This record gives sequence, structure tokens and C-alpha cells, in this order.
Amino acid sequence: MSLVRVALAGEGGQGVQSVAEILAEAAYNENKQAIYIPNFGLEQRGGVSIAFIQVSDERIGAPKFNKADVVIAMSERAVGRTAGYSDSNTLFVYDDGFNVDAEELPAEAKQIIGLPAVNTANEELHPRVFNVIIMGAVIGLTNMVTFEAAKNALVNKLGHKFENNPDLRELNFKALEIGKRMAEEALREGVAK
Amino acid sequence: MLKVVDETKKAFLTGNETIAWAALAAGADIMFGYPITPQNEVMHYWTRLAPRYGREFLQTEDEISAGFTVCGAVQAGKKAFTATAGPGNVLMQEPFGMAEAMRLPLFAIIQQRGGPSSGTVIYSQQEVALTTYGGNGEGYRIVYSSASHQEIYDYTIKGFNMAWKYRWPTFLLGDGYQAKMREPLEMYDPEEKGIKIEPTYPLVGLPGKIGEDREPQHLCNIYSLEEELYDVVMKLSAEYESIAPEIIEWQEHHCEDADIIILTHGIVSRAADDAVKALRAQGIKAGYFRPITLRPYPAQQLRDAIAKSGAKTLLVAESSYGQFERLTKQEIYGETIKMEHLYMPGVGIIDYDIISKVKSVL
Repeated sequence: MSLVRVALAGEGGQGVQSVAEILAEAAYNENKQAIYIPNFGLEQRGGVSIAFIQVSDERIGAPKFNKADVVIAMSERAVGRTAGYSDSNTLFVYDDGFNVDAEELPAEAKQIIGLPAVNTANEELHPRVFNVIIMGAVIGLTNMVTFEAAKNALVNKLGHKFENNPDLRELNFKALEIGKRMAEEALREGVAK
Repeated sequence: MLKVVDETKKAFLTGNETIAWAALAAGADIMFGYPITPQNEVMHYWTRLAPRYGREFLQTEDEISAGFTVCGAVQAGKKAFTATAGPGNVLMQEPFGMAEAMRLPLFAIIQQRGGPSSGTVIYSQQEVALTTYGGNGEGYRIVYSSASHQEIYDYTIKGFNMAWKYRWPTFLLGDGYQAKMREPLEMYDPEEKGIKIEPTYPLVGLPGKIGEDREPQHLCNIYSLEEELYDVVMKLSAEYESIAPEIIEWQEHHCEDADIIILTHGIVSRAADDAVKALRAQGIKAGYFRPITLRPYPAQQLRDAIAKSGAKTLLVAESSYGQFERLTKQEIYGETIKMEHLYMPGVGIIDYDIISKVKSVL
């Protein structure tokens, strides 16, 4: 697998960094090279939080990058904040329920994808698994880790919660699956257009 | 002592976590520290792990005190260390200077953040001048600039060893990116790998009567006469210079036929490595040179690389505004190779930045 670069961005507390860490861990567990670095600053909360993930079969260079293969903006503010990471090779993803002005979307992208992630989480699953839907979407868009590796990494991270409440396991796996499917469908539609 | 790493194993850690594990594996007895981003997690992980292995921690009232408590602990024969960044590194120059004057085996980790002053808590390579030549002395220090988590692990273990072998203050110079990012590395028990762990020993409170059983232990950082100090500094300089060749470490490749040599250190050298590969693929003869020790500097090795390549240009790329280039210039004075630079103070450098710069100067 050649190098895949993903930038995830959202509000503090949305689980941006958790998702990035789980994805990087899943890649590492599949014996891939992986680097994950959060952006971090003075603000502990209230700012847009960005995670930079790179996965490759070969040694990875610098920990940050200017342009991503996939950008996922998980909040309205994150759209404008991350548009600069997009170029003509980038899949730029945001939620189709966001109220975003056209000029905030990236000037250049391979495809701009609006996913119904917030709505699906709220209506069909649980608002708290929104970030796991996004994690599934990253896998659907990049295949940077296998679905199994992602599930195992989720269990590693959330295993204690799953033990206390077995329903959570199914809920998370379902969210992951839905996110993956959602992204794959969007890619197919993009090709068809 | 309880074994820290039973068998060599892969791990996926942050740099700060790697330092804590490596310090344990190196047999460090105690860490003294004061919080500052981006090194905080060195302390966090150490305080979590150390009690399991019978090691200790003390949070001091500030960085000056953290540095001096390390100076005290090593005199008691304890393998002690600290970690800091930015303004904390400024404050620690006083105890670091004491360690130079008294030849104390102090080991410190510096995770560079942006400057001047509080700057950013994020990343830079702006503590090169401070870490190599800070303080009111002559820079009797050993400074390793790491580029990967494997090197962080390796050179933390080595750093303690060099400090105790040569008794110069020794530093691992990292940065906020290396501190916070996660990447794979291999953790091992140093002795299983054939790495000898240098023994520690007390420098004060030694047995025997002074004058009869032993010479007095003269650990001094102040002198009454100018001439006394002159003699001490000349002796320290001679000793430092004599061991420098044993300590110097560097990496180079593709310099044999290079038209342009890209000179970087620390994490920026990863981007340089990628840039050289990409440039070579495009038919541009680029070479890679990286000092691992910034102090002592691999000056002769760089001169040799310039000579054998016949390169016309030396491009210095750094996340600071010329600190690394100045360090280099003083070391290779007299070379006539044209020097170009890419200064990106306080921000990361990726291969694209270097490739673009190379193309603009060739």
C-alpha cells in the first residue's frame, strides 16, 4: 500500500483524536508504518481539533503534510479550517447537514462528498457514535486498514466499556459498518457522475 | 533491579512515552521535573511507570530547581535526569552550566517548542543555539538530535551512558512533533543487545581520609583567581576536544556524486531523506548529510562529503531562522561551497518544501 494521508478535524470533544488514534493503532497492528500526530495548542477546548494520520508500507517522512488524500470535516467550523489541506487529489468530506457557504468549501478537490453522518447517528444509532461512523467512512474511502483490524482496535480502546454494556459493542460495530458503506456509495456515485 | 523489557518487542508510542520507557530500560533512578508543554508526558509516563520498578520522581518548584536537583542527585551517584522545553530550557542553563563546570553526568531531554519567549507550545528547532552553547561557558556538552522514535529510544539509553562515561552534560534534542506523534519502534533491554550500561558512582561522600587514603574530590564551580579559572577552562577544553572524535555521529548518503547536499538535523532530516529520493528520481543529483551530534559537530565529516562530491551548493533546511546554519558555518569555516538556506522557524518542513527550494537554487 502506498502512502495514505488523512486529516480529521472537528470540535474538541467530538472524538477526533480518539478516532485518529484507533485508526493509527489498527494500521500498526497490521504491521504497517503509521504516524499519528494531533495538532495541539494552548486551547484545551473550544477550538477546532485536527488529527494528521499517515499510513504506508514504507517508512514515513515528515509527521505533518500540506495536502491530504482524505480530509474529513466533522463540524461546520472545521470545513473552512481544513479546506486548505485539499487539492485536486483530495476527497473532501463533510456532513451534508452542515450549513456551509460554498466559498468555505475547498477550491480544489477530487471529489467533495457530503455524508449524512450526523443524521444517521441521531436517527438510526446514537449521537455518540457519530465519530465511529466517520471512522468507518475513512476506511470506506481509503482502505487504509481492514475492517477487521478497525474492529479489533475499537475493542482494544473501548473494551472495558463494551464489557459493562455489551449493546455498545454492536452499536459501535454497526456505526463502523454504516460509515464504511456510506463512503463507498458516495465514491461510486462520484464516479457515476 | 526488575527488568523493564523482558524481550525485544514492537511498540506504538508517542515520543514522550518512548523516553520514559527508555529511561527505565537505561536504569535511571530518578527524574526531577517541572511541567512544560510539549514534554509534560515524559513526566506523566515516568510517574506512572517508575513506582512499578522502584524508581523515583520529584516535581520541583521550577526548572532552575529541577536542573540543580539533577546536579545534586548525580553527585550522590544516582542516575538522574530531567526534561524540559522552551523557556524551561532557558531557566535550566544555570544548572547545565554547573554540570559543565563540575563535569556532572547530567542527562536532559529537550523537546523544542516555538520561540522567542513562550512562543508556541507546538514545535520548532529553535533551541539549537541554547542547547549546544547556552550558558556562560564554552559549550562542553554532548547533544544528540533525534529523528525517529527508534532513535529517541536508542539515544536516551546512549545519552545516560555517555553522560556517565565521559562526565559531560548530555542532551537528547527532540521537538514537539517527536514528543506528541505516535509511530512504531522496537523496545529492547540494552544489555541483551550487548550495550554495556555505564556504572554510576557517588562523586561526594567518598570513603577514606583525604590526604591519607585518597586525593580530595574537587568539584568546583567558582574560583578566586582569574588564572585558576583560566587553567580549568583550558583543561576542560582540551579534554572535551580530545574525546570529541569518539562521540561524533552523523548520517550521509548519495553524497559521492551530489551537485547539491541537503543539510538537516532532527525530524527535518526525514523530509530531506524523502526529498533526496524524489530529486534523484527526477535526475537531480542531491545528497543527504545529517549531524546526529550537533555538539560535538561532525565538521570534518561534512568537509569530506563536500570534497568528495564536488557539490556546488550546500542547502541548509531548518525549522529556525539560521541557528543550525550558523552552527554549521563556524564549523566548516573556509569552505567555499555556496550556501543556500530554507528557514521555516517554528513550523514543520516537508519534502515538498525542500524539493521546491532545491529547484529554485539549482
